[in-house]
Amino acid sequence: MKNIILEANNIKKRYDKEAVLDLDNIKIFESAFNFLIGPNGSGKTTLLNILSLVDTDFKGEVIYKGQPVKKVNFDLLDLRRNFSVIWQNPYLFKGSVASNIALPLKLRNVKEDEIASRVENIAKKLEITNLLNKKSDELSGGERQKTSIARSLITNPEILFIDEPNISLDYQSTQYFNDLFLRLTSEGTTILLITHDLYQINNFAEYITILNDGKVVKSGSDIELDY
Amino acid sequence: MLMEYIIQALKGAINLIFTLDPEVSTVVSTSLQLSLTSTVLAAIIGTPLGIMITKFDFTGKHFLNTILNTLLSLPTVVLGLLVFSFISRRGVFGEWGLLFTMRGIIIGQVLLILPIIIALVRNAIHDVDEKMYKTAVSLGATGTQQFRLLLSEARYGIIGALITGFGRVVGEVGVSMMLGGNIKGYTRTITTAIAMETNKGRFSFGLALGIILLSISFIINYIIYYFQSGEFK
Repeated sequence: MKNIILEANNIKKRYDKEAVLDLDNIKIFESAFNFLIGPNGSGKTTLLNILSLVDTDFKGEVIYKGQPVKKVNFDLLDLRRNFSVIWQNPYLFKGSVASNIALPLKLRNVKEDEIASRVENIAKKLEITNLLNKKSDELSGGERQKTSIARSLITNPEILFIDEPNISLDYQSTQYFNDLFLRLTSEGTTILLITHDLYQINNFAEYITILNDGKVVKSGSDIELDY
Repeated sequence: MLMEYIIQALKGAINLIFTLDPEVSTVVSTSLQLSLTSTVLAAIIGTPLGIMITKFDFTGKHFLNTILNTLLSLPTVVLGLLVFSFISRRGVFGEWGLLFTMRGIIIGQVLLILPIIIALVRNAIHDVDEKMYKTAVSLGATGTQQFRLLLSEARYGIIGALITGFGRVVGEVGVSMMLGGNIKGYTRTITTAIAMETNKGRFSFGLALGIILLSISFIINYIIYYFQSGEFK
């Protein structure tokens, strides 16, 4: 059994007056391919926002390596900078693909020459060097997603949150990124993936949490997928 | 006969423009000075207000937005009349001697374009996708960095708002006439000069200023078009 890197207890989240999340506990295991699955509207993305600390307006506690992030005097920004999120419909900023990929490093005040070399490396790794000088609004859906993946990986995050990334990707790219994510977990990155893709679930999932109606209905490393 | 009159006037107008006639130059220079100053002041006041109205929720926000939208089509003479009542000798600010001065015109012009700049900046900020904030936070942006990213994403809209404001003041006549008094060499602007000189029979002079105003308007619209279509990237 791997160590728990992130855990959330008694999470309650409401939009207007409607409860969208009311779950007792969810665990994310370190250096593992964690899966979060469930029907549409079950609260998966809301939970991802909370776990990734993008949304801090909720009741309950998120525990990072055994310490509650709200109670212990964590610098939320520092902690958040250990994480990265790949969104289902990524937002790209105006400007070139290169400037989008470089942005997280610029926000961390990394030196320009280091930024340039890291952008080049990640672009080579993801085979998108040809896109670097393109404007973000000239990209296809798949190219946008690849750019956002490069942008999320450039900081070498400790935990990578991924929200249904396959929607815009073709079969070949999906296979490529499946392999990449698998390699990342073997290198020590923790991944939490939201997906409906049974192939991914059957072949890559180490730990699965099934969410329904804002509640965890099943979780574990070996569970029957019947929801 | 009429055609000949128009052709002669046009020739005279072109001559006035290309010989850099001192009177034409003074009027154009006064107009541009006033318009630029008014636009800069309105931008300094209006841009933060437009951002605040979009980003903060407060009681009366809907009402304020309705008022703003109404003020977009405020007739310049009505505004001129209103400001006149405050800065004329018997007005509340009469002692400050603002009437028939450039400062008086600037006050009127700032008030004229303030609602335009606030409303257009509000729209530009509002148009930035909500996903931008979530993305900025997830990428590790501080509060200040999030604000800078927001301004950067809305920059074409904000610049478009300022240029639209400039276009409005450079072509207005009501405020300049009522608050400036159309004093030669001092508060005479392109539009007030066209109105007066044409009435006096100096058709070529009016036409020269009209061509210049139209050219300024064309340039402004050309720039707005490019900013709004996002060509400047």
